[in-house]
Amino acid sequence: MRDVAIMGAGMTPCRSRWVEKTFWELAQMGVSEAVHDAGIKIQEVEAGVAGIYNDIFEFQAIPESGFQGIVGLQNKPLMRVSNGGATGAYAMLAGYNMIASGQYDLMLVLGVEKALDCYDFEAESATPAVVQTIGYSWDPWFERPLGAHASESYAEVIQAYMDEHPGDLAPLARAKIVELFCEHAQNNPYAQRLGEKVTAEQVLHSRYVVYPIRALETCVYTEGACALIFASGEMAQKIKERTGREPIWITGVGAANEPYFVGNDITRYKVLHRIYSDHVATKKALEQARLTIDDIQVIELHDAFIPQAMITLAEMGVVPLGRANDLVEKGIIMQGGKLLVNPSGGLVFGGHFVGGSNMMSTWSVMRELRAKNLEHGLIHGTGASLSMYGVAIVLERRA
Amino acid sequence: MPRKKKVPVISTRMLPQAGITEVKTKEGKFLLRNDVMFTAMKHTQGEFSDFFRSIRDEGKLFGHRCPGCQHLIVPPFMKRCPSCDFVEMSKEYVKDVGVMAATPVITVFAPSRFKGEVPFGTGRVFLETLDGKLSDTAMLLRVRTTRGTIRPGIYGKGTPVKIAFRDERQGEMNDLFAVPQSELTAEQVARSPLLESEIEWGKLAGMELGEPTLERREALKEVKTRFQKLGEMVSQSPRATANLAAWRRTVTVQTGGGAFSFVVEKKKLRVQDETAEKADLVVTVAEPSVLLAWLRDSTEGMAEGFGSPALTDLVIDGTLVLDKPELETITRLDRVPRSLRRDQIVSGTGRS
Repeated sequence: MRDVAIMGAGMTPCRSRWVEKTFWELAQMGVSEAVHDAGIKIQEVEAGVAGIYNDIFEFQAIPESGFQGIVGLQNKPLMRVSNGGATGAYAMLAGYNMIASGQYDLMLVLGVEKALDCYDFEAESATPAVVQTIGYSWDPWFERPLGAHASESYAEVIQAYMDEHPGDLAPLARAKIVELFCEHAQNNPYAQRLGEKVTAEQVLHSRYVVYPIRALETCVYTEGACALIFASGEMAQKIKERTGREPIWITGVGAANEPYFVGNDITRYKVLHRIYSDHVATKKALEQARLTIDDIQVIELHDAFIPQAMITLAEMGVVPLGRANDLVEKGIIMQGGKLLVNPSGGLVFGGHFVGGSNMMSTWSVMRELRAKNLEHGLIHGTGASLSMYGVAIVLERRA
Repeated sequence: MPRKKKVPVISTRMLPQAGITEVKTKEGKFLLRNDVMFTAMKHTQGEFSDFFRSIRDEGKLFGHRCPGCQHLIVPPFMKRCPSCDFVEMSKEYVKDVGVMAATPVITVFAPSRFKGEVPFGTGRVFLETLDGKLSDTAMLLRVRTTRGTIRPGIYGKGTPVKIAFRDERQGEMNDLFAVPQSELTAEQVARSPLLESEIEWGKLAGMELGEPTLERREALKEVKTRFQKLGEMVSQSPRATANLAAWRRTVTVQTGGGAFSFVVEKKKLRVQDETAEKADLVVTVAEPSVLLAWLRDSTEGMAEGFGSPALTDLVIDGTLVLDKPELETITRLDRVPRSLRRDQIVSGTGRS
């Protein structure tokens, strides 16, 4: 496999609602920013991958078809990837493989999503309709008819973990992470919740959405786009000679999806108190990069729900399973701690435009590696029922 | 017995009228077109038909067992075992008792099509096999209690449950649900199938309120004043007004210090001195000071921190008792304080 570099990244601002723009223009804005950031022309790009989570959010089946021409890839291949919440990370995985295999040298990897066009005319509110749209991700025979949905499903995993590890995922530890990510988001010019201050106390007093998850522990719904430019090592060198800018390298990728049905045998079924997909994906990515989790200095986590993000960090090996409170109580991820987590504010405060959220995470890690002269970062994506999809991608800045 | 009553798949109130609205933002005026992504279905139940027919016609459950690895899966979500070279699995009936795989969760904010059903509990059950073992997979079910609104503490990991069936069934997962065995008689646990109508469902209200002491009466007086003030603040806040949109309820509040009622209507909140003759919802709480703490938080802002949990928490932990499992009035009220802070109607640490 060949080395793969990321040459540029382009973000739109994250907003809960872009009535001013369709997903076509959001896509174009992201791509335009990315090619300018990379210092290339779109005509040089040979192929593209478009991460779009959900046709219903875009109000169009094969929504990526409109991109051809708009993002400048006419008569070139553009592959759409849709893999639940992990769509963005899986789209990156596809782009990575298309270059690493030797087929292409310069690619566009784009993620875009609308969401808040969905509207419940009975409740006169968008949110129940957005939650319903995501709820269509559950199987139509056994689980969806019971009202299974994203928060319910992740709450099952969180609750099962707490059954297994009583006292871990303590409310105060969770609340302090929310407060921390809110502070981080204030340094992200594209963050949806820029200018907002949420305190740990507010979190503890916010209402439940699904017991045991509180409203201020959940990610937001976002509309936006992020585009990345991937290049082969040889192409990266050529572009660098032109722009003088060091690329960021992808040195490890890992992905795993757990089974849909729940049981006790982890080799056969989803074990409810684990997010084993995150464990497997991270292990594979680190092995490929020839690193351990202790070498990672910055992680952009897919924090769909804060307690889930704590379990994910334990699955990655940052702390042992059952000791996720240490992330806060030992200061591991807090200000001045040894590990920087979600400097973008994550999906709770930065934004969660599903098809591109993991690309926002990538934009953020690239920024941190460069700004703080760090070497190794990690991107994480999760999604689908019971957090069963997991992707981990190791990024490296070569001094 | 198949269900007789005709029920539309979705509420017709969810369907928009054709039309285009214009919204104004800092960047100009933009159009929004009312529409639906409309696809009606006659949805294939295929290989699961036998399972759902068994639920509908016999009130019995079965799984599939692999002759190779001997794993028993319930529901029978596949016919061939991929771990054993896709060997065909065989049908095997299971008992209608089992144990919770984990503590169930309680949905407070639901998707559109389930929003009238909150709060509801869902959890996974390992079902007992005929030889007294457990199935290898756990099946998602609604979990219910005979003792009022579903709340934490009723179920935990390993709680023994009985699967009960609705009297009128049409062959779907909502035809069955779990109840803790501890809430049933031995005879009920032994009966198969156990029907919903054969279970004694406790009344949701009926809390003992105790004596209306002077302290409680004084507290209630302040509750009414503060509730009225909250109503006035809602009218000044676009976000809080939106929180009450498309909702009309008359609610009687019974406390140990007396009763009053309030009305949510036309995006407004107003207090009435007396109890309502025809209340849509009755909320009972022994100590009016519980409501007072929430109202102080809501109307005074957050300068001195929080004195109360969210109302939803108070329902979930059983402090506030509702006479029916309809939580939406409570969750809507719970959104109001943050909206007031964000719209700077009260001081606090909302959006600056």
